[in-house]
Amino acid sequence: MRQAATTSVGLGMPNIPLALVPGHVGTQSKEELRRNILEVTTRRVIENLTVAPAADVEQPEPGARDIICKGGFKAVNRFFYENELSDGLPIVPPTREEVESFLRFADRDPDEVLGVILPDSRAATIWSIAVNGAMAGCRPEYMPILVALIEAMCDPEYGVEHSGNTPGADTLIILNGPIIKQLGFNYSQGALRDGFMPNTSIGRFWRLYLRNVAGFLPYKNDKATFGNTWRVVLAENEDALKKIGWEPNSVEMGFAAGDNTVTIARYTGGGSLSSVSGSTPGEMLPYLADTVQKYHMWQLTFTVSHGNGSLRPLIVVSPIIAETIAKAGWSKSDVKRFLFEHARLPAWQFERQLRDWNIRGVWNLEEDVRMGRIPKAFHESDDPNRMVPIVWEPEDFMIAVSGDPLRNNAYVFAHNGFLGYPVGRKIQLPRDWERLLGSQS
Amino acid sequence: MSNVSDDGYYEVFWPRAPRQMRTKQLAPRLASLEGRAVAQLWDFLFRGDQVFELLEEGLKARFPGVRFVSWREFGSTHGGEERAVLAALPKRFKELGVDAVISGMAC
Repeated sequence: MRQAATTSVGLGMPNIPLALVPGHVGTQSKEELRRNILEVTTRRVIENLTVAPAADVEQPEPGARDIICKGGFKAVNRFFYENELSDGLPIVPPTREEVESFLRFADRDPDEVLGVILPDSRAATIWSIAVNGAMAGCRPEYMPILVALIEAMCDPEYGVEHSGNTPGADTLIILNGPIIKQLGFNYSQGALRDGFMPNTSIGRFWRLYLRNVAGFLPYKNDKATFGNTWRVVLAENEDALKKIGWEPNSVEMGFAAGDNTVTIARYTGGGSLSSVSGSTPGEMLPYLADTVQKYHMWQLTFTVSHGNGSLRPLIVVSPIIAETIAKAGWSKSDVKRFLFEHARLPAWQFERQLRDWNIRGVWNLEEDVRMGRIPKAFHESDDPNRMVPIVWEPEDFMIAVSGDPLRNNAYVFAHNGFLGYPVGRKIQLPRDWERLLGSQS
Repeated sequence: MSNVSDDGYYEVFWPRAPRQMRTKQLAPRLASLEGRAVAQLWDFLFRGDQVFELLEEGLKARFPGVRFVSWREFGSTHGGEERAVLAALPKRFKELGVDAVISGMAC
């Protein structure tokens, strides 16, 4: 209810009337649901359709260049925290000097609007990127990456408006290109651990921007049941990739090898696979395929008609796993084909997960195939034990290489489908990048 | 209390950005639902099919002449096709003679 009320402000209808079903329909018996609808909800629906709601007055807000607080470090931080403008950690005060140091790395008009971001419908400006980048503890030279990230956030294919859904997924940023080494990103041991300024502060920037500009605040537009802290940037180990002849993620996303790029996608969770043992793909990959399938449970809803085949699982393997697989002559595409053919489950389990356990009460695989909504591979017979894939085609799997080079572990990210579809952007460096970079050191 | 001498002094900017959406006026309400067509929009989640069935029962008890345009006419308002479904709604409402809309459910 609070989310609906908050979202309605951003959509320009702050007084749109709402009717509530008490409790959660997912836990009510038929009798309870009947009682709640007939005794509570119906009355509100009638009122909402027949009585004009009171007009709502727009609350005035500061301008983009307004100074909203003056004072010492502690006072500024207290002000930001009490006004829901920070995440609970200390921020770097976004003063004119700080913001302008970021703008020098942009080569763009500070008032340029990259897009309008839902649900708050605020303008994503270069200026606001600089302010939030400073707050997050980024260095000014990260600015080209921050701009590329917000360009990606504004891409409708990503679906930023869904970032407050109840499963509480969070974005993973994948970084590619020479900029990884140039700015000192960690791409080796502890690749997803905090402790490395560019990886950590840019991850924090993403979450601050979602809060301050998109408008995703807990108890308001962010309805994460649990949620988690932001993810640090995952930088690929391009040395390892080059050594084995595998293309980096940036090439999978349509860019040229050697381009500096960001890729964003939202993941509901996932986990680590320990000790992927074997000396051949045939020995290693069944473990990976089995785990990828097991980490995608309710997320299968993004594979069927509701999700329009938007499920894109991500598997991050350590360099030694990638090297062992590549040694047998296998490419990334070969690995994806293997996963497509082996990360499968019986059709009855697939249907039970969505129809009986989750939320898709009016659906089955046979109907989706008959109506041409999903590929035929999902209903090649009526045998409930037939094995069905978890994605539409092999290329739906994404593979990245990072982490401890000599540890045979992997990490599976369970994807959130069209509620955070993978989107990539090339990072545009300012004309005098090298000189500016030199002036920072 | 902050102490300027050891806590610095900062003048800081607002980290938000201007809203681009101005407040819109809502459609006029109906005097009664009697004889009116009420459309149902659903995101195909959270037992909306059952909820709308019960709402129909409750509304018909009060307004026997109310007519419903089922959610089946419109497709899911949430999912891979949501943008196309939402964009088509104004035209569909006109074609179907819709007077009012109930949109549900939550997520």
